[in-house]
Amino acid sequence: MDNNVILLIHPALGGIATLAALWVFVDTLNVSEASLSRIKNVSILCAVLIWLTYIIGGYWYVVHYAPEKAIIKGGPWPFAHDFFMETKEHVFLMLLLLATYLPIAASGNLATSKAARKVVLWVAGLIVPVSLSMESSGAILSIAVKIGLLFKQAQGG
Amino acid sequence: MENSEIGKYTVSFGLSFAITSVVSALLVILKESNEEGVLAWMKALTGHHWVTHGLIDLILFVVLGWALSKVSSGQGVKMSVNGLVSCIVGAVVISVVLIDGFYLLH
Repeated sequence: MDNNVILLIHPALGGIATLAALWVFVDTLNVSEASLSRIKNVSILCAVLIWLTYIIGGYWYVVHYAPEKAIIKGGPWPFAHDFFMETKEHVFLMLLLLATYLPIAASGNLATSKAARKVVLWVAGLIVPVSLSMESSGAILSIAVKIGLLFKQAQGG
Repeated sequence: MENSEIGKYTVSFGLSFAITSVVSALLVILKESNEEGVLAWMKALTGHHWVTHGLIDLILFVVLGWALSKVSSGQGVKMSVNGLVSCIVGAVVISVVLIDGFYLLH
């Protein structure tokens, strides 16, 4: 598969996972017996999507990132790797566990347990901003590669 | 009818998440500060330190979550929902501050 396609699938799945977490949050705010199974299913979907994001992004990072890292580090935005990539790759591991935990938290009867609802609301509510920060870091890395290539071209490389 | 019950797996895996998350952040600092020891060992184990880091996190999360659900004669850890939520939110904040702070200063 084309590496660029992998790079599109990775943030696309992450974006859909973020929407799934937001869905769980909103649905839990208005929970009823009728929406219980939907909340559980969407929380599982969120976890599966984050896992796919992790596996696909992880494959690209381990196998294909080195040349792009060299471009970023040699360009005007080395901080994109030194800060944004380093934090992204490690904060993502926490996000993976948080998303894995979401279906466990959503497995109780949210319609009758205020406590269970509270846990789900916090977990889903945390997944959204952390996921968005991952997307933002990825965007900064993409720009850093572009700037690095333009810089290299301007230098006659 | 409303109740304040939370399942034992919700508590045990919530606590496991909190502990694993902070341990993972501390492992970032440890491996990056000890490139010839810890980082080299993590690279040697799977071929990439990040893959090893992910495996350690996943194993710790599952084992801790399972173990915490077995305490108190199989009833699991007893904890208030506010305590659990504080642990989860606190772990996310502490982990992000540790990781971001380390790479800002590194």
